[in-house]
Amino acid sequence: MAAVTSPQAGPALRRGNWGTLSYLFMRGSGVLLAFLVIIHFVIQHVINDVYTLDLNFVAQRWSNPGWRVYDAFMLTLALAHGLNGSRIVANDYILHPAWNRAVNLAILAAGLLWIVVGGTAIIGGVRFM
Amino acid sequence: MAGSGLASIVEVTRYRGRFGQLDWVLRRLAGLGVLLFLLVHVVDTATVYFAPPAYAWFINLYRSPIFGLGEIALGGGVIYHAMSGLCIVILDLFPALWRYRPQARLVVWALFLAGFVPLAAWMFVRLVEHNLLR
Repeated sequence: MAAVTSPQAGPALRRGNWGTLSYLFMRGSGVLLAFLVIIHFVIQHVINDVYTLDLNFVAQRWSNPGWRVYDAFMLTLALAHGLNGSRIVANDYILHPAWNRAVNLAILAAGLLWIVVGGTAIIGGVRFM
Repeated sequence: MAGSGLASIVEVTRYRGRFGQLDWVLRRLAGLGVLLFLLVHVVDTATVYFAPPAYAWFINLYRSPIFGLGEIALGGGVIYHAMSGLCIVILDLFPALWRYRPQARLVVWALFLAGFVPLAAWMFVRLVEHNLLR
């Protein structure tokens, strides 16, 4: 008969630590995002709107490096928070180990790709053609 | 996978988790909805660098009535997910407050409505002005 071990022992503990990190990250980033995103939404959809939005507007907004830092920070946090959240949801439904691993990797890859694409645009800025 | 997804939708109606469970489902759906728009939004904004002429195409799409309504729903999703999430953060930080969970959930809904009703009205007026009154 296999020895009964504490559920906290071995790999379970490591998983527990990742889970704790993920939990703390979701809460920390969530609090920051609540402010960052609502401020962003008010500026873009209440004070301004989609009817006045064009390349000039974006260029003017990004002429202030502060807004570029703001957007880069929000981009990274929002993608990490959103994709980690979707990973948590996926883990509730996709239980087959191989599929679960594939979905987790796909979400990680999408996160990195989207941060690179979004980050490049923020650093590169508007290109008028 | 699709099977378990369907099963979970059925379970929502059967599992008697009541309000806490419904809030959890709503917060998840709101989060996933906002994420879906975020993924599209990063692509549309990235065109300012990668393909500037395509930016106007995206913005024109967002000016259509369907996307206008979607924009209002997006605002609602952001506010609900934020308020509900902040509530959970505060209660988890001070576990003694969990016994006020029923009242906390009313505060979340009050804050949501206080933010969303004026926002939706404001955005809806703009939507009508730009789509029907021209």
